[in-house]
Amino acid sequence: MKRFVALKVNGEEYDIDIEPNRLLLHALREDVGLTGTKEGCSIGVCGACSVIVDGKLVSSCLTLALACQGKEITTIEGLAKDGRLHPLQQAFLEYGGFQCGVCTPGQIMAAKALLDANPNPTEEEVKEWMSGNLCRCTGYYKILEAVMAAAHNKISSDFQVKHERKTAKIQSLNVYKDS
Amino acid sequence: MVKFEYLEPTSLKEACALLDQHPDDAKIIAGGTALIIWMRMRLLNPRLVISLEKIPDFNYIRYDDKDGLRIGAGARHREIELAPAVRSHYPLLHETFRKVAQPRIRNMGTVGGNLCQGDPLTDPGASLMALDAEVTLTHSKGKRTLALEKFFVDYYQTDLQPGEILTEIHLPPSIKPLGWSHIKFTPRSVEDFATVGVALTLRAQKDTCEDIRLALNSVAPTILRAKRAENVLRGKKISDGLLREMGETAATEVDPMDDNRGSAEYKRDMVKVLVRRAAQEALQRISLQL
Repeated sequence: MKRFVALKVNGEEYDIDIEPNRLLLHALREDVGLTGTKEGCSIGVCGACSVIVDGKLVSSCLTLALACQGKEITTIEGLAKDGRLHPLQQAFLEYGGFQCGVCTPGQIMAAKALLDANPNPTEEEVKEWMSGNLCRCTGYYKILEAVMAAAHNKISSDFQVKHERKTAKIQSLNVYKDS
Repeated sequence: MVKFEYLEPTSLKEACALLDQHPDDAKIIAGGTALIIWMRMRLLNPRLVISLEKIPDFNYIRYDDKDGLRIGAGARHREIELAPAVRSHYPLLHETFRKVAQPRIRNMGTVGGNLCQGDPLTDPGASLMALDAEVTLTHSKGKRTLALEKFFVDYYQTDLQPGEILTEIHLPPSIKPLGWSHIKFTPRSVEDFATVGVALTLRAQKDTCEDIRLALNSVAPTILRAKRAENVLRGKKISDGLLREMGETAATEVDPMDDNRGSAEYKRDMVKVLVRRAAQEALQRISLQL
């Protein structure tokens, strides 16, 4: 029987009607409509579905949505604020911490959980912590560099401005016309 | 995944009563890292899932010099890994829980859930066994305690009876100096299950072994204590030859399976080597070099 649930995701309340067997992953993607969280292995190994629940990193593919009532859920969509990327998101862009991007929301959420608890981790600590997030294309050094850069504030201050300027320029070329 | 009803009782009494009302079709969920996978694979199809998350004070970790360590079954792997009392009094447990899967799963999975799953591939059981753990099983009319080594019955089978909930793990006070070693042998990646897992504790006076516990995982239908191998060393003067003999004896007590982590033959051979190495490491920890 369906049950009425209020989920608090990225500070906003979402009222959804779900079966008790609904997983948090599917509730987020299909009921709440936030598809940033990805499904990979479905058995808690790959880390693509990582989200933060009450400050703790969890696999949303192994979490019942009903069990998250009254808890604070943070997903990748909750990181950018007022059009500004989170330092970790910027670091992943600047240091090339991804290629295809499927693992990236999970990688960034894992890194966020680490930096929230330990703002100044060693490389070893980052490697150990991130061991549960698999990437099948870019390899792990770029990811490690990105996390270390975000931790030690080695990201450029004018990244956002440059990025916006670049985007505006591309748009001004008017290459991608709506048909 | 099969459809089920989901309840969150707020006391142990209420949880036991629910189990009594649904003897055949209810399952307990704690961290969910095992149960959800099994339900998604349709290996388990319960009509009712009972969560223990709302039961107050179910994840305690308390140490007392006279009583030892008491862990609430709802304690997450990560909580045990980081507990100061575990770090200072039971370094073997700290080391073991640090190696369970990866941090995300350690944030979710509970020690009680891990033991009740009865999975011979997982790490905590062997180390708890090497520290003489006993478990408390609670039902609506009372409770019983059982040595952990008697709790594991067969592949994914435990002595947990219908209506029972594993509520506490108890370890006797830590004895110092205690030699210990934990080896999780994984030829693939660190977060994988072990190909062979060895947990060993021992006490020695001069060069004589006073007492020893040797528990192994991933090499038989259950996590097991290798008692014949223990007896090779117990009460004897420790020598390199005797450690070798202990490893060889342990290899005769295991019953490994061929799988993607290695052939049965390979695992048996690795038991010989790793048991010897575990004993050497334990002896080094109490500064007994051979």
